[in-house]
Amino acid sequence: MTDKNPLAVAKGHGHALLLLLIVSLIGLPLILPSATLATEILIFGLAALACNLLLGYTGLLSFGQGIFFGAGAYGAALLMIHLHWGMLGALVGAALFGALLALLVGALAIRRKGIYFVMLTLAFSQMAYFLAYTLSGWTGGDNGLLDVPRPNIEIAGHVLVDLADPRHFYAFVALLFLLIFAGALRVIRSPFGSTLMAIRENETRAAAIGYDIRHFKILVFMLSGAITGIAGALYAMLLHFAPLSNIDLMMSENILIMTIVGGTGSLFGSLLGAGAIVMLGDVLSELWPRWLMLLGVILILVVVFMRGGLWGGLADLVKRLQPSRALDAKTKETL
Amino acid sequence: MLDLYLFQLLNGLGLGMIYFLIAVGLTIIFGLLNFVNFAHGAFFLLGAYLCYTAVALTGNFWLALLIAPLAVAALAWVVERLLIKRIYHLPHTFQILVTLGIALIIQEASVLIWGPVGKHIAVPPELRGVLIVGDFIYPYYRLFLIGFAALIGVGLWLLLERTRFGALVRAGSESTETVSLLGTNIFRLFSLTFALGVGLAGVAGVLFAPLRGAQPFVGPEILGIAFVVVVIGGMGSFGGALVGGLLVGVVQSMMTSLWSQGASLMIYGAMAAVILVRPYGLFGRA
Repeated sequence: MTDKNPLAVAKGHGHALLLLLIVSLIGLPLILPSATLATEILIFGLAALACNLLLGYTGLLSFGQGIFFGAGAYGAALLMIHLHWGMLGALVGAALFGALLALLVGALAIRRKGIYFVMLTLAFSQMAYFLAYTLSGWTGGDNGLLDVPRPNIEIAGHVLVDLADPRHFYAFVALLFLLIFAGALRVIRSPFGSTLMAIRENETRAAAIGYDIRHFKILVFMLSGAITGIAGALYAMLLHFAPLSNIDLMMSENILIMTIVGGTGSLFGSLLGAGAIVMLGDVLSELWPRWLMLLGVILILVVVFMRGGLWGGLADLVKRLQPSRALDAKTKETL
Repeated sequence: MLDLYLFQLLNGLGLGMIYFLIAVGLTIIFGLLNFVNFAHGAFFLLGAYLCYTAVALTGNFWLALLIAPLAVAALAWVVERLLIKRIYHLPHTFQILVTLGIALIIQEASVLIWGPVGKHIAVPPELRGVLIVGDFIYPYYRLFLIGFAALIGVGLWLLLERTRFGALVRAGSESTETVSLLGTNIFRLFSLTFALGVGLAGVAGVLFAPLRGAQPFVGPEILGIAFVVVVIGGMGSFGGALVGGLLVGVVQSMMTSLWSQGASLMIYGAMAAVILVRPYGLFGRA
């Protein structure tokens, strides 16, 4: 996928990245006009991060991320509405549901490689959409699932954190984001992550060394499905509503575009991409209902001119602003 | 009751021939250019809308059937020259993403031009009415649809198998480098093939328009169905696109009479079943 040396991603500066993330998570609601918008960015940042695990690190282009996003939204909503599950239970349920569906979709789609895999994920995405549409007794069909609760965090009936306040909910989502980001970072830097990158770089060779490629692909697919499921659940709680559009192909495409615009193969880039697209949508969708056209243009421009995405662009900028340090590194290398 | 099944079977064949035209275009492009055109559904959509405009301007469906696919193919040719040509050296992922961008632009531009509500396109006067054989009644237009699509299919087969252009496309699908080394302008061949494949989607869009009108958000649905067809039939195969298209069309049509809501669901179920039993499609080789 990327031209970079795969090991470059594995090394990097983990602590600096986490620090940058913490600063961003604190700064985001201060800069933005509303905590709700900031929360939405983090939710799609999670979905893009999960997509990046597939696209950026394993080289799997999935048009099926909307399946897991929608499934997480419906799953959590149904658990909360019918079984009165609490916040954490609903999130765990959404993660498990997302992972289960990813197992099903993955087990079938991963039977084929390359272009067929991509086409299968898109076909399954359409299938999930029609399934959600047909099961209107559960999903509300076209009308969506209304009155999704946002439970507080309670211990033995005692309210620990009141999440009805948008700022509290933001803080909760930010904490989740930090945990999942750190977890994803660990996964990428583990031997498991290195194997994923080996698959990305050369699948045949990775198989020849003795790795069971399908096993690894299904596992990363399930991990991605679980994270996307959590994102979907949080989105339903944010809106108090789980619309059919959550599981639409357009959702899969949106998540993919955020991932690519942010930068494939960079976890922090996913947050940047989600931020850019969500904010653009927030500003433009009111003014110009056809703003998706611009999304198409942006996607093409990024692919043709800026393949590293926003993260890659920023990295280049930093390099250019610090010519001396770059030179230092070079001289060090020659020494 | 039997008449109803025959009716649905014929409907399925008509639908299947439309799916065949879409899938065979996708397959030809993939065979030579080695990437999947994710804008295929959007070009289909454009064919239907251009048909609407051409009929509105000239009042003649036959003229629309000629002009709209040519216009779609011409646009595809321009897009290939200006944009896709620049990204042949990149991995397939990037080519897919660029065509996804094109699809979004076409879809949204269609809504801008023709509005968010679908357009109705009338069946041409020559083909209004029904064929009556005993108890059996069948609309002429749907019969024409099957025949016309079959004609295009035969024409395409002759073009690919019996002409110099077809020989180049087939040779290029085996090895673009060899064809290029033998002195053919490979980029010209790429442009023409892309335009041809997309033009077939445009024909399908026009033929489909009198049945379901021009709907602004039908692109992804059509793309999904085309993928099901090529997954079942195998990519890069003319016969696979034909059998896959007919199979999907008939399954969808038959299911409509049994369980109308689940008809769309069933074709994806059929695809999943094929993947389970024969991962490389009905005609595919490992």
